[in-house]
Amino acid sequence: MGKRRFTEVWRVWAVMAAIVLATVVVTLRLVQLQIVDHAQYAADARLIHFGQDTLADRRGALLDRNGYPLAASEAAFNVMVEKRAWEDPAEAQAAADSLAEVTDASSAEMLSIVADTEAFEVPVVRGLNYGQGVAVRELGLYGVRLLEGSRRTYPEGNLAAQLLGFVGQENSGLTGLEIDLDSILGGNPGQVTYERDGIGNQLAFGARSETPAQPGANVVLSIDRYIQRVAEQELDRAISDNEAKGGTIIVIQPKTGQVLAMASRPTFDVTNPDLSDNSKQALFRNRAITDTYEPGSVFKVVTMAAALDLGVVSPGTWWFDEGVVHVSDWSIYNWDLSANGSQTVQDILSKSLNTGAVWLANLSGSAGFYDYINRFGFGVTSDSGLSGEVDGRVRTPESDPEGWRPVNMATNSFGQGIAVTPLQMAMAVAAIANDGVLMKPQLVNEIVGPLGTQVVEPEAVRQVISPETARTLLDMMGVVMDGASTAYIDVPGYAFGGKTGTANIATENGGYKPDAYISSFVGIAPLGEPEIAVLVKIDEPAGVPWGTVVAGPAFSRLTQRVLAYLKVPPTKEVFVSELLD
Amino acid sequence: MAANREGSSAIPEVLQDSNIPVILILVTLIVGVAALLPLVQTSLATSTGGNVSRLEQLREDWQARLHEQELTVATLGSLDRIESEAQGRLKMVTPDSVIYLRVDAPAPAPNKLPSRYLTEETRPAESESLWEEFFGWVPLP
Repeated sequence: MGKRRFTEVWRVWAVMAAIVLATVVVTLRLVQLQIVDHAQYAADARLIHFGQDTLADRRGALLDRNGYPLAASEAAFNVMVEKRAWEDPAEAQAAADSLAEVTDASSAEMLSIVADTEAFEVPVVRGLNYGQGVAVRELGLYGVRLLEGSRRTYPEGNLAAQLLGFVGQENSGLTGLEIDLDSILGGNPGQVTYERDGIGNQLAFGARSETPAQPGANVVLSIDRYIQRVAEQELDRAISDNEAKGGTIIVIQPKTGQVLAMASRPTFDVTNPDLSDNSKQALFRNRAITDTYEPGSVFKVVTMAAALDLGVVSPGTWWFDEGVVHVSDWSIYNWDLSANGSQTVQDILSKSLNTGAVWLANLSGSAGFYDYINRFGFGVTSDSGLSGEVDGRVRTPESDPEGWRPVNMATNSFGQGIAVTPLQMAMAVAAIANDGVLMKPQLVNEIVGPLGTQVVEPEAVRQVISPETARTLLDMMGVVMDGASTAYIDVPGYAFGGKTGTANIATENGGYKPDAYISSFVGIAPLGEPEIAVLVKIDEPAGVPWGTVVAGPAFSRLTQRVLAYLKVPPTKEVFVSELLD
Repeated sequence: MAANREGSSAIPEVLQDSNIPVILILVTLIVGVAALLPLVQTSLATSTGGNVSRLEQLREDWQARLHEQELTVATLGSLDRIESEAQGRLKMVTPDSVIYLRVDAPAPAPNKLPSRYLTEETRPAESESLWEEFFGWVPLP
């Protein structure tokens, strides 16, 4: 009886011990789950129960000066797939095939993206248009949802491709104005966190917090789409006619410094830039500001401006051209090896005499000559606001006391041995057309944001030469054009001034590229009240390299079309009666 | 009988009312309906929430379509298309020479742009006649 009672008691204690032990184990496990690993499990639960999206409002548009969109955004949809929804290969294949049918994307690629990701959800197709987005939504696929974003489009096609630049997949700027104005165009992204159901849809009354996105501002550029298009057409024609390697055309409004057109070649397809080929990335850069060149004889207007403004010469001053100038151990000749005898200062520009330019620089003195070069804005960036703009290179006795030689000033006087950007050269010529006032190049006219419009005012940099000197120089440039062959340079109905240039191309080892030239032309029209200053630069034409022949016709055609477009009345009598007769 | 009488007298008077079953049924019904009210309310709220989501989706769809249409308009007004239409469909040709005529007439009005891109200053003001302005002060019946 006693033994039986002991056995029963032992069994009771054993059961109780087991229950206690189990309770302790369960309690410990609960402590581990609820307290020790709480953060981990809470995070995992949030990942499943809560969704989070970055909200991006529409990116601002880049508009031309008249409000026409050059780059704008429209709604686009990304297809998001939950990884766990595509764990079954057969179901995943079926879903991917359905998506491929309405999106034109590759089903294999979609499957690969989902298989490779460690994330809860991944975008498998990007940038669908509205119709495609609706089609995907109507499929109602499990674990698949649409995330609205935006896509950049270019109504004018590849117009001003290098200047505008393009955006990346995340809709932020990668090159050009798209990156320079990214903070203005992009706005502020928002974020939404929401509770979702088993298939990922947002619960109607679940927890939700949202920080709304702010839309980007529209930016009104100084570029005129018509003038830009004319510039690009004429540049393409000049390159084609002369079998050249590339070129640049810039059109400036002298009074304001606003850039009406900035075109460079070679260019790229801005609507579908090829980012896979590194060799093509050079096409993305805006050569008007990133590349320097030796301007050649067009620079003689700067040399002339210095001499005139210093008062050491006037247009009628006489000078004797022996056809050669000896500087140190160097002999400098005219471009055509001519010796012209007694010449006026006007003839130095009209006949583009290298020897005369050296004489003018010597009269100005190195301090005076380089002071004017600096005042015209050479050797420093023009502060255009475009990233990648370079300084150029001006070697002066002060900046390089060891390396500078008098022959440097001699060659600089006719635009060799000095490196400038096309924009610097165009702005210097525009300063001559603006009564001697150098303006800051302006590319943005207005910023139209949600809170109002910010107008960008033109900004004068400095008075480089006196208004009288500027007017004299304009007249001299007009005389230069009066003597030019109308077969190459002519703008019927308008008085205009200009200067041609043909320059050697410097190589990295300090010499010059054999049989390769840059042909250029700078012009101002009309002469009385200048409306435009134009730079035409053509790189390495295959045939005759002279600026008159290569760049002159492009200037003529462009100016004729642009002045008519700007409704500038002809300055000369335009012989309507003769035409009618 | 006596026992029955004693039993009857033990039940409180109020419970002896013949309307008690009816009251009980009504109370039960009211409690039942009250219990259902939160469910109905939640159902209505969920339904309204669904409608709101659907309408928001609809609004976003329309906005997307609007932006798409605006860009389509902008693309149709692109210089390349204008030129190709002029040359292809209208058979226009580039002039060989330009003839300038001086006329005493104002320049044509600027082209209309998609209003989305216009700033407030340049957006055409809504016309309001003097009479409209006057009647604007009169309270409507």
